[in-house]
Amino acid sequence: MKTYKQPNTVGRFGEFGGMYVSETLMPLLLNLDKSYKKIQKDKKFKKELNDLFKNYVGRPSSLHYAKNLSKYINGPKVYFKRDELNHTGAHKINNCLGQILLAKKMGKTRIIAETGAGQHGVATATVCALFGLPCYIYMGSKDIERQKPNVFRMKLLGATIIPVESGSKSLKDAMNEALRDWIKNVRDTFYIIGSTAGPHPYPKMVRDFQSVIGKEAREQILKVEKKLPDYLIACVGGGSNAMGLFYPFLNDKKVKIIGVEAAGRGAKTEETAATMTSGTPGILHGSYSYVLQDNDGQIKEAHSISAGLDYPGVGPEHSHLKDIKRVKYFGVTDKEALEAFQTCSKLEGIIPALEPSHALAYLIKAFKNKHKNKVVILNMCGRGDKDLFTAAKAIGFDADE
Amino acid sequence: MNNLDTLPKKKILSLFMTCGFPTLSQSKRIFNEMLSHQPDVIEFGLPFSDPMADGPIIQEANKLALNSNLSTQQSLNLIKELSKSKNNTSFVIMCYLNTVRKFGVDKFIKSIKNIVDGIIIVDLPFEEESEIKKALSKNNIHLIKLISPMTDKKRAQKLLKGSKGFIYYISATGITGSNKLDYKEINKNVKSLKKMSKIPVLVGFGIKSKKDVLEISKKTNADGVIIGSALIQKYFDLKMDINKYLMALKKLIKEVKV
Repeated sequence: MKTYKQPNTVGRFGEFGGMYVSETLMPLLLNLDKSYKKIQKDKKFKKELNDLFKNYVGRPSSLHYAKNLSKYINGPKVYFKRDELNHTGAHKINNCLGQILLAKKMGKTRIIAETGAGQHGVATATVCALFGLPCYIYMGSKDIERQKPNVFRMKLLGATIIPVESGSKSLKDAMNEALRDWIKNVRDTFYIIGSTAGPHPYPKMVRDFQSVIGKEAREQILKVEKKLPDYLIACVGGGSNAMGLFYPFLNDKKVKIIGVEAAGRGAKTEETAATMTSGTPGILHGSYSYVLQDNDGQIKEAHSISAGLDYPGVGPEHSHLKDIKRVKYFGVTDKEALEAFQTCSKLEGIIPALEPSHALAYLIKAFKNKHKNKVVILNMCGRGDKDLFTAAKAIGFDADE
Repeated sequence: MNNLDTLPKKKILSLFMTCGFPTLSQSKRIFNEMLSHQPDVIEFGLPFSDPMADGPIIQEANKLALNSNLSTQQSLNLIKELSKSKNNTSFVIMCYLNTVRKFGVDKFIKSIKNIVDGIIIVDLPFEEESEIKKALSKNNIHLIKLISPMTDKKRAQKLLKGSKGFIYYISATGITGSNKLDYKEINKNVKSLKKMSKIPVLVGFGIKSKKDVLEISKKTNADGVIIGSALIQKYFDLKMDINKYLMALKKLIKEVKV
């Protein structure tokens, strides 16, 4: 088969991706692309990043054989790639460290970021604290309400939170505002995008920084199972944890890959975030990809119980992988995710974030009593601490005080 | 005939307004008021749910228009109806690419042919424009180029090669409606642009008052100005009273028509 080599030099994954931004941003993105290409060859940069991965994040994250869950499913052997054990509790830190090192090299003195669940905000605030740079986090007011512990974390870390009241008051609107900030403060500001979305070079850059997940998982599974996994499963909002796991396996034709989207109250309802199941190709936040939109191309509001998946777009590489049928995408509802959230907590002693709970729900549903003797790696991309209040409310448990 | 080819040499006035804002019927009254002053250019903003290159005022205008369920077709119909009394005023559409793509590029161009003289597709960069530009030029519609203070000389030269209509120079490194105007920088950049291209250079983003217009004319080499957010802001200042707004709009346009 042909070796997978995406994107091309202008940021196209097949027909998806690109740079659809105004001329106020274009020169910056081209400059960012140039700087990113340069540091990719920089050995010192690589060494610095690897040191931080090892000593600050605690990489490599372990590959845990989820024995009890495997027994419960009565199907394949399930391994968790435990990126929820990273410093800050999710995979987001991998990318933030890469980007802040780049920002430093480019001489930028102010950092901005958008956040949904708050994991990317916390990770960005963390690396800003570490490197002594002022940090401004755009966050939808609806997300501020449902992710209070992370809001407090960001404040402790010294970040300024800017509530976003426009639109659906969640991730999409936070990203609009962050882009506006960047346009206004182009000269000194670096925008750390947290997902594989946005204009080129972000989808590629974020994927590259996150692909440490897949690289490690590949080595680890070969060591314990002496073979590659049969399946990879990860949740997809914008798609960074999924691309991180998937990318190093894309050329391994035998490895089947599954992305799980948040279908909210159902993929066929208006209250969904399952972009690739329910959406059509369009342009959002500078990139051509599947989006939830109406007949006039107005972007719809997404819905998911998980703030991290509550996004009406998806990274362009996922759109490409869907269209070339290398990855299959499925939707999981709020309710199914909540059940898996509880099942995993009870069976494995791991409280997952609501985001990977979607991947878990699909695994439990689709693999029950099937695919015996197969090996699955599921990306446990975040821990559930941040979701305790949301989950308690949804389950009907009084968690006040 | 394309009205943009016969723009005056100096003191060009371009007025921006969101289509369908605040409602379709009121929007018609607003555009008729604007048109009665015969400005050199009227820019029709097509509302988009995620106008990331616009400021909060235009975003709010977009939101109001979309809340009244305005469709792209209705916006285009409105422009068509107004074009009957356009005389020498150039009609320019300002929009985001997703609106055009979703409508269908060919169908869109067919709908505005002989009605609209130019189009600004805010998020269509030079790198992605070739196909649409060709289709537009076949139908005698000019693709207006945005130049920002971040656009360096080499890039500006590339962007402006063969461009028609006018050059939209973004005065503040910022989004529409921001408030810093650096006349020295504007003058330096406009001068440099005028060496590259013969078409007029209009300065937009952040121009609010007669004073701003006069300063631009006095302190810079620009051929004209674009006013948008300031026109819309008045509506919110007047607590969304449409009759008071139309009067204020009349007054403001008279003032900036220097």
